[in-house]
This record gives sequence, structure tokens and C-alpha cells, in this order.
Amino acid sequence: MFASKRLSKMQEHVPPGIAIAKSENLEEWQMDIKVLDDNPLYQNQTYRLKFTFGSKYPIEPPEVQFIECAASSDTPRPIPIHPHIYSNGIICLDLLSSAGWSPVQTVESVCMSIQSMLTANSRNERPPGDSDFVSYNRRRIRDIPFVYEDDNV
Amino acid sequence: MVAAKRKLLRRVPNHLTRISQRVLALSLAFPVFLHFLIFSAVEVNSIDCLSLFTANSDLLRMCGALLLPPMQQSFDLSDSTDWHETPLSLLGPLETSLRCQVCKDFYDNPVITSCSHTFCSLCIRRCLSTEGKCPACRSSDQELKLRRNWAVQELVDNFTTARPIVLDLARKEAARLTRGNDQVEGPAPKKRKAGRVEQEETPVPETSPQRVRTRSQRTKANPREEVIEDSQDEDDITGMWCFTMDQVAGDESNVLAEDGLVACPICLRRMKDEAVFQHLDTCTGEPAPPKAASFGSLQPQPRHLPKSTGNPPERIPAMNYSILKETTLRKKLRELGIPEWGPRVLLQRRHTEWMNLWNANCDSKFPKSKRDLLHELDVWERTQGGNVAAPSPFVSTGTVMRKDFNAAEWSANHDDDFKRLIANARKRNDAIVRSTIPGASAASSGSEDPSLEQPDATSNATRTVPEMQEVPAEVLPVNGSIDSRHTSNPSG
Repeated sequence: MFASKRLSKMQEHVPPGIAIAKSENLEEWQMDIKVLDDNPLYQNQTYRLKFTFGSKYPIEPPEVQFIECAASSDTPRPIPIHPHIYSNGIICLDLLSSAGWSPVQTVESVCMSIQSMLTANSRNERPPGDSDFVSYNRRRIRDIPFVYEDDNV
Repeated sequence: MVAAKRKLLRRVPNHLTRISQRVLALSLAFPVFLHFLIFSAVEVNSIDCLSLFTANSDLLRMCGALLLPPMQQSFDLSDSTDWHETPLSLLGPLETSLRCQVCKDFYDNPVITSCSHTFCSLCIRRCLSTEGKCPACRSSDQELKLRRNWAVQELVDNFTTARPIVLDLARKEAARLTRGNDQVEGPAPKKRKAGRVEQEETPVPETSPQRVRTRSQRTKANPREEVIEDSQDEDDITGMWCFTMDQVAGDESNVLAEDGLVACPICLRRMKDEAVFQHLDTCTGEPAPPKAASFGSLQPQPRHLPKSTGNPPERIPAMNYSILKETTLRKKLRELGIPEWGPRVLLQRRHTEWMNLWNANCDSKFPKSKRDLLHELDVWERTQGGNVAAPSPFVSTGTVMRKDFNAAEWSANHDDDFKRLIANARKRNDAIVRSTIPGASAASSGSEDPSLEQPDATSNATRTVPEMQEVPAEVLPVNGSIDSRHTSNPSG
């Protein structure tokens, strides 16, 4: 009931660098995002975000992560290199956690936050402990106890 | 009546309303056979897609398919972006400011917080009961401090009354300008007074056929008058459309006034027909205490409920669940006239939801009946509460275990995921095997991680004995639980 109201007419008017890739239902959306400035790390790349909405959205945050599409496919979508993005696509961003989320956020605003998170980055590296995390994590994204130590990103 | 109607108009896409009216009328004629059609119709009215996903009955599904057009075609939700392509694009921000930041709909019973932010009463109550913070500025607030914001309510009411007509004019003007541009080279003046257009009956672009039809019906009557006059003559203008609606509403109240009660086929207790289905789920066949029969009725016994004399309904106070025993809590729910089954956590959540629904309704100028609220609670029960039939895989782990689980459909739907996961798994497996356990690739490929449901156990195990040939977790890209479950499902 509540959740379904999120369905806006976003399709027609998305901010630059953001496009809807898939939105057939109200449970999962996929968005393509690009970094707009000439940050060499992300130039000419498109990345795909997967939003998964629970029944309590927008009171509770959606799960948002990057997903990979094979380089050989029509729409190659790598996982961006970023000190806060694990190589399995999980993003360490406080506004996506239960504590940092606010119901006034939208798909658009989340995409823009991630865009700016990429734009502002200059380090070509994965988070520390990436391979361990990728191997052993079984938790749902919102249950992962991230430590948001870096306020600059 | 007019206000109620306007409210309905505001919330429900026009074509849906019309169809569901028909359904409603039908179901009044055959109340017993069709009364769950009402359920589905009402559900669709609230655009309750989630519960449509979860519906089990074929009939319900059929209804859903009938009533719910594919999302991108003519899902006629009003939105502030409707103004973008018109000469009145500046009305977009105005409309945005009349919408709640949480639900993105027009304010419904707006209330103002102590930090001076305005939200729908229900939205902010749900936020505060979850987090205790204002969603806009994150300052702490309490439900007790919310105050009604009548001015905003009036703004919304008046804006939404004028909106369809103004938007229609603006769209016509936009269409006229485009056509003008096609004929004469050079830009047409961007801004025009809306009044000028009224003389010209130009066809509207084909962007949203449903909308166009209803609107043009209205604009055939003098559009200028419509803008200025009050909502009184809405009935005349919308003609048949509103007439059928009145009729239906009238019929409904007649039927309910005469009797409105239906006997439960098992225990023969009489109750409102909406309550039958829910009752059937729990009916034991024994004649129950008379109190339970009041479930869903308009004037239940509990003391704090409004008298029919129109006294303002009393608010339900918040409870400190931690100091209540489960039996006390259950008794509370019974006193409130809401379902009392389920584990303690569910009881608390249900009580919170009911408190939010109820207290938000107290903020309304035209409070709904308890019956309506109970229906809303029922919708909640089916989408977020204890009756979630087939929830998204995030909520429950039981989906693929259900007897009626459609493996073919599931695998078709998730084919891409499976392929991607398999590819990823192979790639990673190879890489890992090559780098850590040379020569072991044959042994480890193809097996599945059996302990997906015990994440901690798995990770501990793999951490302590990484050289074991049980495929380490790397095989499965950790994309959240949904994906891991896909892999564990053999149908892919």
C-alpha cells in the first residue's frame, strides 16, 4: 500500500547521467548511472545499480548495490573501483543503512549520492579487506555493521 | 459527500475508479459470491500492487490483470512532472511543495512537527514510531507534538480540485504550440495566458488516452466556469460519471443499513461481509463469545471509541511494550477490536500500525469509519503483517518451499540471474582454485554450498578451514540473500 506510492513518473524526467534500466515491478529496479565529470577512474563507463524495495519502503531503506553485467553482453556493466565499494557490488554508504536512511530519500536522490560519491573519489582501490568480505559475507546488506569512518566521501 | 468524492478522485486513477465501481456494483448484486472482488477492487484502488503480487487466488490474479495496466502504459498517477512539457512548467515546483516528502503523494491530513516540517499524518506517525526522528531534518520528535496544519490541507484540496482542469488547458496549449511550430518556422511564445486557450478546442496529444477522455468530458461544459465556481457544480459537469458513483454509494449504504450482515458458513455467526474471509481463517466452528462478533462493526464496545453522535474520536495512547506481558498485550488488542493472533512481535507491530492508522484518522477533517480503518489494517496484515502470503524473498525464506511454488515461472523470471551467477561462480572458482589449491578444480566444481541458510556457520567454517574442498563461499558471489537463494534453487 504505502510502498507502492513510490512509483513516480520518474521515467520521463531523470537527472543527467541517470537512466532507468529495468523497472517492471515494484520490488526491484535497476538503474544505470554515469559519472558526469572527467574523473579518469570512471570515464566513459556506465554502472548498474540494483534497488530492492522491501514492503516497508520508504520507512526502511531499499537495498542498493552495484551489479555486474558481463563485458561481452550488449550492456557491459562493471563494478566501479572505489574504496567504499566492494567487488561484489555492495556499497558502504551510510544513507543506505537503517540508521542513515531517511524516508524522504528517493531512487533519484540515492543515485545522485552515489554519483557524487564516485565523482569525489581519486583512489583507485577497493576497500580494505575486500576479498575477505566478499568471500564470507552472508548477511543482508542492511544488517552489515559498516563503520562509516570516512566523512569525506 | 462532495469532499469524499473529491478525495477519491484525487487518489485513484480515473479509469481504475470506473472499473472498480462496476465491480462494486456487481458485487452488491451478488454479495456472497463476489464479495472478495470488493477486496481486490479496493486493493487496486489503493494501488496496492504488493498484495496483488502475493495474491493466491486465480480470480484475484485475473482481477489484477484486468484492473492493473502494465506500469508504463497508462498508469495514470498524477505527478508534479506532469507540468514539465506544458507552458505552465512553473507549476511543477508548486505541486511538489504540496506533496508529502515521504509518500510523494499530496498531503493527506497534513500535520506539522515541532521542527516545522509538514507530512501526512500517517506518514510521519509511521516514521516516528519507527525511528523517532523527523525524516527531513533528523531531529527528534514525538507524535504527541504533532499539530494539524489546516492551511496546507486547504491548499491541497483547492489545488487538487483545480489541477485536472488547469493541466488539461496547459496540455492543450502545449499541443497547440507544437502544431504551430510545425506549421510556422520559428519559436512560438513560450508563455501564454491559459485563458486564451479556452476558446479553442484543440485535440490533446495522445500521451495519456484515459486522462484525455475524462477531461474532455468535463471541459465540454464551460471550462471557465469550472475553474472559478466551487465544487458544487462538479456533479452537473461530470454528469453520468458522478451519478453512477452516487448511486453506488447510495446502494451501498442502503444495503448496509438494512442488514449488511452475512453468516459465517462454519459457525453461522453473523458479521459484516468484509469480515467473513478473515474470520474464516481463524474460525474454529464453535460459537464464539459475543464480543468477537463486533469485529469490523461500526460501533464496537471498547470505551475509547467514538460514539456515533460525532464526538471527536479519542486517540490511542502509545504503549511501552516492554513492560507489558503478552497476555495483557493480547487483551489490549482485543479491546481495540483488532486481531490478536500471532507472536508477540507481530502483536506489537500490529498495535503500532493500528495506533498510527487510528490517530492519523483522528487528524482528519472527515474521519473514516472504523470499518475502513480495519480494512486498511487488513491490507497491512497482508502486505507487511502476519498474512504475508508470498513475500519477497527478503522477507521470508519459505517461498521456494511452498507447495504451489511454480518452478518454471521462477526459473524463467530469474534466468538472467542464474546465468550470471553461474558465470561468476565459474570464473571465481577457477581463479581461486588456480591461485590457492592447484589441481583441485575438478573436485570442487559443480557442488553447491549446502549451508546457505546458516550464514554465520558457513563463514566461520570457511574461515577456519579454507583448504577444505567444500566449495568456499567465493563460488557464490555475495549479492545479498536473494541471489544466494537463487543459486540454491536447482530449477535454474
